[in-house]
Amino acid sequence: MRWLIRKTTRKGKGQVSFEEDVHYGDALTIGRGANQAVFLSDMRVALEHARITVLGDGRYRVDSLVSAGIRIDGRTQQQAVADAGSLIEIGGARLELLPASTDYGAGIDISAIDKQELAAEREKTRQPTSLAETWLSRRLPSWLLLIATLVLFLGLPMAAHYVKGVDAVLQSTPLPSRDAWLAGELAPAHHFFGSDCQSCHSEAFRWVKDKDCLTCHAATPAHADPVAFDLPELGNARCAHCHRDHNGKTGLVRADQALCADCHVGLSDSTGGKSNLTDVGDFGADHPQFKVALPAWDASGAFTPQRVELSADLNERSGLKFPHDEHLVAEGLNGPQGRRVLDCASCHTPDAAGALMQPVNFVKHCQDCHALTFDVTQPDRQVPHARIQEIIYTLDEFYARRALEGGIVDAAAPEPLRVRRRPGQAPTPQERQLALTWARDKARQVGESLFTGRACSVCHAVSPGMTADEPWRVAPVRVAGVWFPKSRFDHRSHGTMDCVDCHRAEQSRASSDLLLPDIANCRQCHAGEQGGRDRLKSGCIACHGYHESPHLLQVDLP
Amino acid sequence: MHDSILSFKRQRYLWVAFLLCLASLVAYFWHQPVGAPPNGGTWLGYTLGGIGATLILWLLWFGIRKRRYRSGVGTLRGWLSAHVYLGSSLILIVLLHSGFQVGWNVHTLALTLMLLVIFSGFFGVFAYLRYPALMTRNRDNATRDAMIEEIADLDQAALQLADAVDPAIHAIVLRSIERTVLGGGVWAQLTARDGSAEALENLRQAASSKEKGGDKAAPAANRGQTMIVMVDFLAGQTKSDKQSENLRKLIDLMTRKKVLAERVARDIQLQALMEIWLYVHVPLSIALLGALIAHVVSVLFYW
Repeated sequence: MRWLIRKTTRKGKGQVSFEEDVHYGDALTIGRGANQAVFLSDMRVALEHARITVLGDGRYRVDSLVSAGIRIDGRTQQQAVADAGSLIEIGGARLELLPASTDYGAGIDISAIDKQELAAEREKTRQPTSLAETWLSRRLPSWLLLIATLVLFLGLPMAAHYVKGVDAVLQSTPLPSRDAWLAGELAPAHHFFGSDCQSCHSEAFRWVKDKDCLTCHAATPAHADPVAFDLPELGNARCAHCHRDHNGKTGLVRADQALCADCHVGLSDSTGGKSNLTDVGDFGADHPQFKVALPAWDASGAFTPQRVELSADLNERSGLKFPHDEHLVAEGLNGPQGRRVLDCASCHTPDAAGALMQPVNFVKHCQDCHALTFDVTQPDRQVPHARIQEIIYTLDEFYARRALEGGIVDAAAPEPLRVRRRPGQAPTPQERQLALTWARDKARQVGESLFTGRACSVCHAVSPGMTADEPWRVAPVRVAGVWFPKSRFDHRSHGTMDCVDCHRAEQSRASSDLLLPDIANCRQCHAGEQGGRDRLKSGCIACHGYHESPHLLQVDLP
Repeated sequence: MHDSILSFKRQRYLWVAFLLCLASLVAYFWHQPVGAPPNGGTWLGYTLGGIGATLILWLLWFGIRKRRYRSGVGTLRGWLSAHVYLGSSLILIVLLHSGFQVGWNVHTLALTLMLLVIFSGFFGVFAYLRYPALMTRNRDNATRDAMIEEIADLDQAALQLADAVDPAIHAIVLRSIERTVLGGGVWAQLTARDGSAEALENLRQAASSKEKGGDKAAPAANRGQTMIVMVDFLAGQTKSDKQSENLRKLIDLMTRKKVLAERVARDIQLQALMEIWLYVHVPLSIALLGALIAHVVSVLFYW
């Protein structure tokens, strides 16, 4: 095999000189050794660096004899099959494989790699030596993150607000929706429409409107008469001024004293004297004595309780005579079923909510002992309670029947009526007249005895009636009711206390005793908002409500 | 005396930040919001939030200010000092603004991003204070380019020396040169893998194999390591006294080269460590800008 070995030398400005040599053999050895067919003096070349073998058809096999490999067409390889035209780089030399010609079976062109090219090549293969040269970037991730945060946390929630149905779609995906805007947990009561932000936030970039609240809270009373008390604190305050949601379990309902005390400390001044409420600042330090709704009746008999300040000498007109001390004697009372010891719960039972006491009921609580019997011969018969006309009828009918039947066991009765009548024997007209007269007299007499003597007047104030239909008048009665209508008191939450801790009933000898605890009694356990030693912190809201006037809320409805 | 970013003008901005934090704390404990726990919706919450947002925007402005070489508003070092101290004060101010309430929402996202930015900045402060001194010491009065040039010279000298010893040694030295890699990808730069530990281990192995009279180091030439392989080979294949002399010189050269290569790798590593945190700090701060906009707009959107 004839090899053409051509050495090309470039001498600046396009001057090129060739030096040709011939080599015989199948393989062409390349290296720094003297025995090499192609001798390269570069120190970077091994003594035996590479071998090129002719495969025919202008193809060559190139073998690297060094473990580092050689660069063939830009790639470092140990062995490769290369076509004519391929470039092999060894040290600073470039070898181009030539196609076979008529004169040579194989050929190679050797030239030095241009210095600039070499430098460019070195620069190309140079490893990055600073982070700026690596794939790391600050600009691209910055843009991506900026766009991502704006799209995910601003764009999507806004789309959910403006475009109907988007929210539902987003909720079904892991993508953030308006829940990503949730600034805090909703109050428990608002959870059932929690994901529908627009129920409260009807307009973007606006405060929550009162009308949004009133969509549900329509029946909420105002704090005071909005016409009489046209105060900016009441009229201009938005619902959300006090009711701040998104604060979890706290926050929605204000319980701080400032809510009330801000106005109520100087209420008479700020209302121009319109308010008849006493100034109040703190339950512990600055609260007037309680006012009670004292039972009273107007001329027509209608119940019109009077609001009176509680004091030791205040008497109650309950319309009833009831000495608590006599009923609460420790050794008990004689009753039809024997001896019975009464306590508070014998008569005072709480209502279903446990907050207030049910009214005392005569039939349930009193009649056991205070039986309304009226005739010794019939000890089981009693007159009905409280219904005066029925009592009169009952007595009339009872004694008329007795008189007509005859056989009355009463020495004062006329002789014919005391005789027992035989069955089937009709009374004579004279006997009937006699019986009716006696029965009427007897009924009146027993009635008088009941009303003024042994039954009604035991407990009630009884006076003669004005008309024939109403022979007796019993004073109206109110035994149990709401004494403190402006505050909330819950017996159940005070269930760990004894009744006598607040109600000194065992020493009460008359029903005119009020037996209601005054503010000093409450202050034994309850301090003001700041609390106190061994006392509860009790702000205004502990007993009073805000939305409790009979007037409806006036709000900025459109 | 050198005035570092932390001690700039007698820690002027440390005091500014300290006073800002103190004022925020006093206000936070003095303020008793009605009807709700402390939160961003009270007047103090809005105030602290306004201060925090303004600070964040101002801190972001640093990225623009530091490129304005002709700006006359303070020195860049003063700006950086303020950037560090006021940026740190944000941790407290923003936590007070939030009333320490967190949740799965854009608000806490902004808080989290802000904390990540600040803590990555803390690493930056550490890097700027510590690494320049380490770099100076590591370079030992040379520059990186000078060291790289010297490595090239050593390579050339080593090749000539190796040629005088043995063709096989020459091949290995050549291979070592071609495989010597300075720099590389992110991980390679940050870890500065110079293989010195492995080289020591290989040296030890080669030495012990020589003691046993074996000649087992040669196969290591295929293991793809560079100078380490050289050392192995040299330790295992000495043949004559003359060669030994040349080999010793070669080893000296290669040791010198190894030291230089390690130093360059360390230089690259230190520089990379000084820069790497910025690739977290800057993108996250821009993400924070997005989250901050979303946070502010969302709060005002559903006021």
